[in-house]
Amino acid sequence: MTEDKVSRREFLAKTSLAASTAVAAAATATATGQVGAQEVEEYAQSDYSVRAKALVSVLTKKNLIDPTEIDEVIEFYETRVGPHIGARLVARSWVDPEFRERLLSDANAAATELGIERRRDLVAVANTPQVHNLVVCTLCSCYPWFILGLPPTWYKDAPYRARAVIDPRGVLKEFGTELDEGVEVRVWDSTAEVRYIVIPVRPQGTDGMTEGQLQALVTRDSMIGAERLKSPV
Amino acid sequence: MNGMHDVGGMGGFTLPVRDPDEPPFKYEWEALVFAANQAFHGPWPVDRRRFAIESMPPDLYLSTSYFGRWLWRFEKLLVEDGLATEEELRNPDGPMSPAADFQPFVRDAVDHTIPPKFRVGDDVLVKNEHPTGHTRVPRYVRGRRGTIHLDHGVYDLPDTVAHGLDPKPQHCYAVIFRASELWGARANPRDWIYVDLWDDYLLADS
Repeated sequence: MTEDKVSRREFLAKTSLAASTAVAAAATATATGQVGAQEVEEYAQSDYSVRAKALVSVLTKKNLIDPTEIDEVIEFYETRVGPHIGARLVARSWVDPEFRERLLSDANAAATELGIERRRDLVAVANTPQVHNLVVCTLCSCYPWFILGLPPTWYKDAPYRARAVIDPRGVLKEFGTELDEGVEVRVWDSTAEVRYIVIPVRPQGTDGMTEGQLQALVTRDSMIGAERLKSPV
Repeated sequence: MNGMHDVGGMGGFTLPVRDPDEPPFKYEWEALVFAANQAFHGPWPVDRRRFAIESMPPDLYLSTSYFGRWLWRFEKLLVEDGLATEEELRNPDGPMSPAADFQPFVRDAVDHTIPPKFRVGDDVLVKNEHPTGHTRVPRYVRGRRGTIHLDHGVYDLPDTVAHGLDPKPQHCYAVIFRASELWGARANPRDWIYVDLWDDYLLADS
């Protein structure tokens, strides 16, 4: 862990609330060339690490959390939820046209049908050769984590959130997908409690594949609409 | 509030490279902060937690990593509600005072029979309001015209829940906007933006 390598703790003497200001000051110092970006990053990680450990320690000592629950939560998000769950919805929709209709008209019922534990209301939107959907949360990081796992950093950070709504075609191009001018783009800004999943187009050359093989082709980013799936052949 | 979080439509940022194999947590402390957030069954609805982040000074918001903002928020809310002091968070090996009493936040079941104000296909105008509290109306749709595309059903209103007020359950809709209505001449005529908005955010556009 890089955070333990940092020795210049005096920089962080005022940890906790005050230290976040130190991080901002350090960023300014980088911008003006006084400190290297790598050093600032290490200061920041060290600061966060010290404060996170202090936070958990205080919560535990005050009986505000059960420390065993901490381990359970981390285990759940690192190993149990992920894009493999969303891929089941997608692959089923490719092999079963009636399921696809149910998924697009009532994704909640379709998820339940596959035994997927649904923690939020879900809406599924389908890409076609003529329509490309893209999901974003401009205000924070709303994301269908119960079927895709925790969102990637690019989804949570400001650049994607800022640009996806005003320049979706430019974002897709930088992400490696150039849309034909005739394609309609639909951007879904997840500002409420509903979560969106994109059903990507089934790639060509997959006709003989089993549902399990198809699931393995479905990427996390294709279910956000950030990429199209390539033919496996 | 008109905070730094409301970035939709801003220019000047650089998109990062996507990493298809990125782990859920890059650093151990990120996992700790995330898990503490889940494991603490505290008095704060998600709307209040979001508002805390929205209240960050803009320069600090942009210079703090995603889970760093969660950490900042957790510290801030603990101190605000008397559950911990800054001194305790700075020196966790020192003496601890008992936490103030609190009721864990539990959302009441909403009444799904509440009628909608709008129907699918209705034209609407988003109110041009700039509240100082929490809201889920991005600035880029305020004062803009759209059409009700989907009725999601009844949900509590974040604007009041965030501040411990009457949750005002009401319908929330996916409202569709032409890109040119939001972005003017630079918009592609084949682009559409959908934003989820509650009844209270909308006026009939006749």
